[in-house]
Amino acid sequence: MIYEVSVGERRLSVDVATDGRFLIDDAVVAAETAEIVRGRQWSVRIAGRSHEVTVLTTGPLRLLVDGLETPASALDERAAAAARGARAARGGRHELRAPMPGLLKTVHVAEGDVVERDAPLMTLVAMKMENELLAPARGRIVRLAVGAGTKVEGGAMLAVLEEAD
Amino acid sequence: MRVIRACHELGIRAVAVYSDVDRGALHVRLADEAYPIGPASPRESYLAIPKLIEVALRAKCDAVHPGYGFLAENAEFADAVQGAGLVFVGPPGDVQRKLGEKTQARRLAQGVGVPVAEGTLEPLRDQGHARREAERVGYPVMLKAAGGGGGKGMRPVASPAELDAAWRLSSSEAAGAFGSSAMFIEKLIEHARHVEMQILADAHGGIVWLGERDCSIQRRHQKLIEESPAPSVDDALRERLGDAAVRIARAAGYRNAGTVEFLVDARGGFSFLEVNTRLQVEHPVTELVTGLDLVALQLRIAAGEPLPFAQGDVRRRGAAIECRVTAEDVRLGFVPATGRIALLREPAGPGVRVDSGLFEGLTVTSDYDPLLMKLIVHGADRGEALARARRAVRETIVAGLPTSLAFHSYVLNEPDFVAGQYDTGYVATHWPPRTPTPLDDSAVTAAALVAVLATRGRATRRPVASPDGTWARAGREEALR
Repeated sequence: MIYEVSVGERRLSVDVATDGRFLIDDAVVAAETAEIVRGRQWSVRIAGRSHEVTVLTTGPLRLLVDGLETPASALDERAAAAARGARAARGGRHELRAPMPGLLKTVHVAEGDVVERDAPLMTLVAMKMENELLAPARGRIVRLAVGAGTKVEGGAMLAVLEEAD
Repeated sequence: MRVIRACHELGIRAVAVYSDVDRGALHVRLADEAYPIGPASPRESYLAIPKLIEVALRAKCDAVHPGYGFLAENAEFADAVQGAGLVFVGPPGDVQRKLGEKTQARRLAQGVGVPVAEGTLEPLRDQGHARREAERVGYPVMLKAAGGGGGKGMRPVASPAELDAAWRLSSSEAAGAFGSSAMFIEKLIEHARHVEMQILADAHGGIVWLGERDCSIQRRHQKLIEESPAPSVDDALRERLGDAAVRIARAAGYRNAGTVEFLVDARGGFSFLEVNTRLQVEHPVTELVTGLDLVALQLRIAAGEPLPFAQGDVRRRGAAIECRVTAEDVRLGFVPATGRIALLREPAGPGVRVDSGLFEGLTVTSDYDPLLMKLIVHGADRGEALARARRAVRETIVAGLPTSLAFHSYVLNEPDFVAGQYDTGYVATHWPPRTPTPLDDSAVTAAALVAVLATRGRATRRPVASPDGTWARAGREEALR
């Protein structure tokens, strides 16, 4: 199976051959790996260089490579194609999600409202600080998922905005 | 944890309290006795004064140490502890009240000849009053809560247009955090450094200053890195700050450990900010430089002992740096993160101290402060301390949730920080970094292989496809980007 891999800004194609050898961008790499903690940490040796790689988080994937943190992703060919499709279909629709866990103190808009870009939509209280969540673009609020007084988790869907001209 | 350690070294029995979510916490396991005080919500547990007093009496405690957060700067709690016939390890309630109301503290400082930033010395009456005072002082100003500090209920206001929103958000925050929406205005000092002076005062009139800490590396007015000595403070300025701190403490009738905060401007002038009437999170920096155990000294002062040394006996040696490792996504502007600690490696070796409550399996929730671990290093000079800090951060692994370690790793190598050229605007001007992570080809290859192994491993360990499948998952991940 061939994977489309990103490490920071870099893009690589990685193929794990049936004999366990790795091909990177179609070239065989003399790498030896040892899984130290199952699913979490590997020691990798490449031409004598010793690297320690830890999976910090999986969604999204973040790796710690010799003490440096880097975002990464690995999609097999089918998933990569699907991701390209999803991106194309999203169009001018914005899902507004809670940037952090907190209490939704005030909701300044109603479903159907047309708001300007950067208009305050909601006030979220987190860590005793009040944060105004602003409209990412001019558009119509087509869905309000939560009301004032709701406790929300980080990443929770708050509203959907469709861009308007 | 920190207090339990000092107790155990002094042969004192340590009693801990915990909320429901903290049943498995390290402080519960290391204490000699531990008692539940209610649900996760602080109001019903860690802030519930009657419950805390009841536990202290039931466990036959002699004294109560309030820690650094929650009720550590609550005069009512200090009074309640004393009222119950127990010893409060910290300044008495009346001292806390005198210094806790920030405009009163400003008047007190001015009264003993310590410079304060231009602004209001009484709480503002209303928004109109705020507008007139801001015009008088001149923009930019800082709008601050009078009822308490710690970065809550304060906002910079650059122009009259911003005042209304700042007033609304800050006064509402202040009401929530301090139970008072009283505000005041201070001239905003640009390019200032946040420098604070550690003091100790006993019950017999003995007051000493121990040295300063630079705490300018902050986001949302919350500190991320502290160091001592402060790069901007020379011996003469240190003496002046120490002397100012002692004068304020004496005027307030201060007792126990405390911190007097100042802003130091680019020309070496300083102005008083506020007094933190408690031990602070960053106290280990001073402990490493002075070789003193501040919590042990707090306990001895609370027991009525005089300070065991005089000002001239305080020796400062080398340099110390603290990194506050927090559960925050630093790439998304320091938003709090939650998750389970999947893998943990704490640094060790020469000159490294770790104050942490972490363990593998711990679930970090959004119930409390996002501070996970304090990593403090000491070196013969700032250069050695920096090298040690870099080495220690590189050794540290906290996997399972986003943490601030990437931020620390970056800042400890960033030229302006390394040169000691930074002020409170540092995070805004230096983060996120413009240059990508400098991984060499070999490291990128290693990372790419692990990305594949980890992704493939997760897929094979979940043999039954979830209903929405990989396609939807990939789409969702893309959408979250």
